[in-house]
Amino acid sequence: MKKKQVRVQQPEIDRRTFLSTLGWAGVGVSAIAAALGNILYLKPAVDYGPATVIRAGRPDDYKEGIKELLEDERIAVIRDKKGFAAISVTCTHLGCTVRISDAGFECPCHGSQYDNDGYVTGGPAPRPLDWYQVSVAPNGELEIDKGVIVPPGTYFKVS
Amino acid sequence: MSEQPTTLTKQPQVRAKGNFFGNVWRSLFRYGRLPEDAEGQSYVVFNSLFLHIHPVKVSKHSLRLTYTYGLGVIATILFLVLTFTGIWLMFYYFPSATEAYNRMLDLRSSVDFGFVLRNIHKWAAETMVVFVILHMARVFFTGAYKPPREFNWVIGVILLLLTLGLSFTGYLLPWDQLAFWAITVGTSIAGYAPVLGQPLRKFLLGADVVGQEALVRFYVLHVVILPGILSIFLAVHFWRIRKDGGLSHPADNDIPPEGGGQ
Repeated sequence: MKKKQVRVQQPEIDRRTFLSTLGWAGVGVSAIAAALGNILYLKPAVDYGPATVIRAGRPDDYKEGIKELLEDERIAVIRDKKGFAAISVTCTHLGCTVRISDAGFECPCHGSQYDNDGYVTGGPAPRPLDWYQVSVAPNGELEIDKGVIVPPGTYFKVS
Repeated sequence: MSEQPTTLTKQPQVRAKGNFFGNVWRSLFRYGRLPEDAEGQSYVVFNSLFLHIHPVKVSKHSLRLTYTYGLGVIATILFLVLTFTGIWLMFYYFPSATEAYNRMLDLRSSVDFGFVLRNIHKWAAETMVVFVILHMARVFFTGAYKPPREFNWVIGVILLLLTLGLSFTGYLLPWDQLAFWAITVGTSIAGYAPVLGQPLRKFLLGADVVGQEALVRFYVLHVVILPGILSIFLAVHFWRIRKDGGLSHPADNDIPPEGGGQ
């Protein structure tokens, strides 16, 4: 008669390995969660930067055909037959302030050149100057929103 | 290993007990007069925090001034100078967009010896970058980056990047026109990096433009985070020099100094 063999089923993974793996997995997950939390913490939740909407005086303050530079706001306001436009004077290359030149705008830092509409005509600038949205506030003053970029050539007609 | 202490037969002589200053000295440095024999000197170096940075055994070859020109040591000393003058400057400076520039002017003109500290800090910072690069050049030209020292070369590259990071973050703190535009341009360059560029720029500035947020972030990076990380890597750097067998030297030149035995 054959002796019946009783085989104790060996678990694929023993208790000690299982528990220690579980423990280390917990430590790993916690470490990743903590790292993500720290990254989120460093990402500013509140924008403490300057306000994007600014008032730029009354429309009649501006003469037709002249680029008026608002130095602190880094904007050039243009009055044209087509209306008002606000062009950023922050160079699209590395953020210097461009100055008004005969041909349009030019950057003193690395020599980028733009035409009167802010299109790049020379130098390292990768894209045209930003055009900001212009509107009129309830009190009749011009309002420029630096948070809203409009396509070049967009003018605001003051009726 | 338990027998080792007894092999040090010549324990360095200590000052007589009962002398208060002698006791304090002994408890701090673990020796009295410096022993004149090799074994006693080794014992002193092993047991003193302040001496153990220097190896007990040095190759004659690497002691020649013209081999290293002491460039790494100079860079380290400059880092220490920058740490101390920097902490001193922190007593008067604070990172406020309205006050920082005025505090810098006060340090220059009103505070006693303020201009000295500020200028030492500035010049030490600029020369530290120079000497770190010269040190790396020396290591490169003498082939000291080769195994087993290749890991320490990598640590050295990290130290170079940290030094440049400290230079860059410190540049904003005077909050003058030069600082403002340098950081405007510098962070714009960072913004061009693929994928991580814009998040990195936002992390550095804390806003879309260089302003109060950027000033605080650069300040914290400059006075706490980067020097802290640099100190840790510096410790590893020094430790590796010892563990890789001291400064690089030709094998045939590795003759024990006279009076040998060490």
